[in-house]
Amino acid sequence: MNLEEYKGVYVFAQQVDNIVNSIAFELIGKGKDLAADLGTEVTAVLVGSGVKDLADELAEYGADRVIVVDDPELKEYRTEPYAHALASVINKYKPEIFLVGATAIGRDLGPRVSARIHTGLTADCTQLDIGDFPLNPIPGKEQKHNQLLMTRPAFGGNTIATIACPDFRPQMATVRPGVMQKREKQAGVKANVEEFNPGFTPNNNYVEILEVVKAVSETVDIMDAKILVSGGRGMGGPENFKMLEDLAEVLGGTVSCSRAVVDAGWKPKDLQVGQTGKTVRPNVYFAIGISGAIQHLAGMEESDIIIAINKDETAPIFEVADFGLVGDLNKIVPALTEKLRAEMAHKN
Amino acid sequence: MDFMLRKEHEMARTLFREFAEKEVKPLAQEVDETEEFPRGTVDKMAKNGFLGIPVPKEYGGQGCDPLTYVMCVEELSKVCGTTGVIVSAHTSLCCDPIMTFGTEEQKAKYLVPLAKGEKLGAFGLTEPGAGTDAQGQQTKAVADGDDYIINGSKIFITNGKEADVYVIFAVTGTIEKRGRKIKEITSFIVEKGTPGFSFGTKEKKMGIRGSSTYELIFTDCRVPKENMLGKLGQGFKIAMHTLDGGRIGIAAQALGIAEGALERTIAYTKERKQFGKPIAALQNTQFQLADMATKVEAAQLLVYKAAMAKATQKEYGFEAAQAKLYAAEVAMEVTTKAVQLHGGYGYTREYDVERMMRDAKITEIYEGTSEVQRMVISAALLK
Repeated sequence: MNLEEYKGVYVFAQQVDNIVNSIAFELIGKGKDLAADLGTEVTAVLVGSGVKDLADELAEYGADRVIVVDDPELKEYRTEPYAHALASVINKYKPEIFLVGATAIGRDLGPRVSARIHTGLTADCTQLDIGDFPLNPIPGKEQKHNQLLMTRPAFGGNTIATIACPDFRPQMATVRPGVMQKREKQAGVKANVEEFNPGFTPNNNYVEILEVVKAVSETVDIMDAKILVSGGRGMGGPENFKMLEDLAEVLGGTVSCSRAVVDAGWKPKDLQVGQTGKTVRPNVYFAIGISGAIQHLAGMEESDIIIAINKDETAPIFEVADFGLVGDLNKIVPALTEKLRAEMAHKN
Repeated sequence: MDFMLRKEHEMARTLFREFAEKEVKPLAQEVDETEEFPRGTVDKMAKNGFLGIPVPKEYGGQGCDPLTYVMCVEELSKVCGTTGVIVSAHTSLCCDPIMTFGTEEQKAKYLVPLAKGEKLGAFGLTEPGAGTDAQGQQTKAVADGDDYIINGSKIFITNGKEADVYVIFAVTGTIEKRGRKIKEITSFIVEKGTPGFSFGTKEKKMGIRGSSTYELIFTDCRVPKENMLGKLGQGFKIAMHTLDGGRIGIAAQALGIAEGALERTIAYTKERKQFGKPIAALQNTQFQLADMATKVEAAQLLVYKAAMAKATQKEYGFEAAQAKLYAAEVAMEVTTKAVQLHGGYGYTREYDVERMMRDAKITEIYEGTSEVQRMVISAALLK
């Protein structure tokens, strides 16, 4: 493998039902930074059926070039034709870096492609940099420059690994959605499009899609929820939980509560977090109007991020909170919901 | 030194015992099963003056000594641990601090109806984050004109919701003490029905199930400044002084539970036959009973000594801690053995001893755990 031949930062622009997923813009945004460090450009690879019109949107977010692979076989995501499409693009264009969003589709597709072209892949990255490998020179070992340093949490987030792929190209990574920043949209930018079709011949690896079911989010068991919006006695009454439901809806989260709320008869027992309720470990835990007695903390202190809103600045909840807001939850929560609603609308 | 009780004490004990046998014992099992506060019994006790025994007559009480009061709790607890603690919490934890630290106005307004039994009292110190570490209070009281505004909550409050008058504690600021910032705690008298004062959870307990144990919730609860008990910042001292007395009450409850279990076990082992003879004829039974009776007697002497110390000494925390520690551990041990000597029957709810065993456990925990008593005792020894 002649590493010198490989040039440019490529990102997979995931679309479903001809709507580009937000992760594509995030990857372009990050790709621009990496490309700037390498003195190169960002190319988005758009794969689907009848997707040419989407190319301009990718340009509006900063893609210097868009390669479109358009074929009826690519109407819905299937592993084999999509893997064939990307592997063909890589073999023809020889990118130095290839980024895929760590969505359900990306996590399926990335490893297939990397195995097919025999290169390294780091999954679910949260940080990407251009730098030296090894980081510190080791005597008798060549230090390579301008490598993609891929950082990801491992062992359930208990350790952070930085991984490089010095001997093979492209350097491939799937990237966690929501971590990278997309650029400001430049309306009206036209894409520099290059069409490419490697040809699709169905083989025995083609699966047949029988049915696509759109998930309707039913109430989630609070132990499975990734985002919990939890209310305590400070909510003042059951009617005020509407505020929390609105916030949870915007974030795709679930409402939970403290024991005081269950005792007051505002919420059923199966939503109770704490020593005598359920122990939860969401990515984000909003403690709203919860003082934070140890009996409650025991049930949620393992949450990745704890955000506390309470009018009492000496409430013990602030001792475990990553982010704390002292103030009237009746004002803060609706304002927060509105801000997030606007942000989310912007995102999707 | 005289170990004989005086005549008035003997007479008082007879009165308490008759009341307990006639009025309390028949209901003990039902109170435990239904977990219902025995309001009828409390009303009868009020009529008999049981709710103000150590309170001076001019404040509506009986004007008796602490020993008489201790014997009342002891006799009630022999048949029903729930009834014993109702009297103890009311008398030791609510009447006593108002009697000791209250102004004449506060005594007239609160102590008199409490002592007469027209009103029931309770004591709110414990919080979810402040049990043994009572300094860890989170409840706050902020001065506002002629009032204090209280926000926070208390848990595990005996006589909660049933009581009319509550002695509660709240943080009013911070003070420098030996270069460290500590919370300034102040005590207040709060009446049931004050706006912003409500009740939360009722605890479902292992024992003393008829005792009403509630959470108190204060949400912008306004209390007039004249309801401050003692001085600003004197709250912690008041709480500790109150608990010294309360511990004698709980020691009496533990003693009563142990005595009740022992009495029933002696009677049972004489009746129950196995291998053609009463099990009391078995030497194991005899020795077990001997140990139980000896420990109960030792506990009684410690409890009575603590009651006398309260009557005659300025400081009685050491005696109170020893009495409570020992009596509670004896109660646990004696009731456990009582169940064993009853065999399978002892494990059924038809017999009283399983209830006594459940009731005994709390005496090692509330009004200062056994570990706290050991802290108090050893601190005094190592001064």
